[in-house]
Amino acid sequence: MSFINLPTYLKLTVVSVVFLLFTGCATTQIEGEVNNDDPIESTNRVFFNVNETLDKHLIRPAAEAYVSVTPTPVRTGITNFFSNLGYLNVILNDFLQGKFNQGITDSLRFLYNSTFGIAGFFDVSTGIGMPANDEDFGQTLAVWGVDKGSYLYLPLLGPNTVRDTTNVAPSILLNPLFYASSIILFPLNAVNAINTRANLLEASNIRDEAALDPYSFTREAFLQQREFLIYDGNPPVSGYDDIFDQDDDEEGVLVIE
Amino acid sequence: MRRLLLLLFFLTISETYANDIDEAAISAPVIELHDALLVNMQTAESVNFSDRYMKIEEVINRRFDTPLIAKVILGRNWKSLDQQSQERFIDLFNQLTITTYVSRFDSFNDQSFNITSIEPMKKNRFLVKSKIERKDDEAVSLDYIVHENGTAWKIISVIANGVNDLSLKRAEYAAVIKDSQFSGLLTNIETKIAELKAQ
Repeated sequence: MSFINLPTYLKLTVVSVVFLLFTGCATTQIEGEVNNDDPIESTNRVFFNVNETLDKHLIRPAAEAYVSVTPTPVRTGITNFFSNLGYLNVILNDFLQGKFNQGITDSLRFLYNSTFGIAGFFDVSTGIGMPANDEDFGQTLAVWGVDKGSYLYLPLLGPNTVRDTTNVAPSILLNPLFYASSIILFPLNAVNAINTRANLLEASNIRDEAALDPYSFTREAFLQQREFLIYDGNPPVSGYDDIFDQDDDEEGVLVIE
Repeated sequence: MRRLLLLLFFLTISETYANDIDEAAISAPVIELHDALLVNMQTAESVNFSDRYMKIEEVINRRFDTPLIAKVILGRNWKSLDQQSQERFIDLFNQLTITTYVSRFDSFNDQSFNITSIEPMKKNRFLVKSKIERKDDEAVSLDYIVHENGTAWKIISVIANGVNDLSLKRAEYAAVIKDSQFSGLLTNIETKIAELKAQ
């Protein structure tokens, strides 16, 4: 499939990623009142607001409608199906990170779910000791020692870092859907997008309930959760000490009215 | 060689003994919080909000070091505040913590809390790792940083699935202060408390 045949949102994403990659690299050295992880915060906030508006008026209502008419077992099956299609990327990154046993187990998981699980609709592997793992090329680069770079908020794709955007290409190219004809690709992508958003309804409700500044909340939660995934749920304890021991070098200047 | 073995033996015994003593005290605030949350979840239908609030408030006041949490969250902004403003923030933040727990842990579906390990950190801080097991869903990691304040061990940070509430709020509150000053932050927190109570 050529670039021309890619769905519009993917093209937009690729263009944005390339643009922001350079912008991000050029601004990582800026210091001062900006958050060190987020040197292009003002641009990111613009994209965040666009996405939030789009989500509020279009994607979220569609996801809520989808949840109201789709029984939970069907939604679980659809989630399993798309997760299985994306699993070749997980397997590749298992091996790239040197997790050979996990790579073999994940390969078996993919085979079992694709066959006995009827094209991945049923997760027959978790129950027999092969639970899903979460690996991607961004995590692989982190394991290899590559710095995360700037935080990026991308149109449609949402929170990211320069390092994590490198996962866009392998996740598309290793997904069998990429090689399907546009006739089935578009409706399937739409279902995947709505189903993914539906799975995030609870999380976004919690965020809306808790956040005073949804943008900062999303950024911090995303960056910390990525660290958690990179260390497979066991980040070094020393990282938690920093906030208590660092000097008062935080961003933001207080003005008391 | 025998001396060395003997020394190792005594070191192991004394370390195990010390760990036994510490672990009970270190995990106590987490166990007390979990017990209170379980009661809150189990009585969500039968007991009104203000009564459940009082129960959680009791545990939070005893087992959270809210003054330290408030200071860390405000970072360098803390020093710019007079004592009255600092106390106002501590009080409001305490109310937000209690209200959030009461309103979020509001239904019981056979969840259980299990402490999985205790890991030492710097300056006599410890990370108490736990999991919330859920009947039809994946377990959630819920870790706590505790330290000894005076005579009691207290929680100074909560980390849910790798997301540290302290860092999250520090970044978030800094953004609010930058936009709408300290008074804006207080107004925002007051609104949030009211919204949570109204749910």
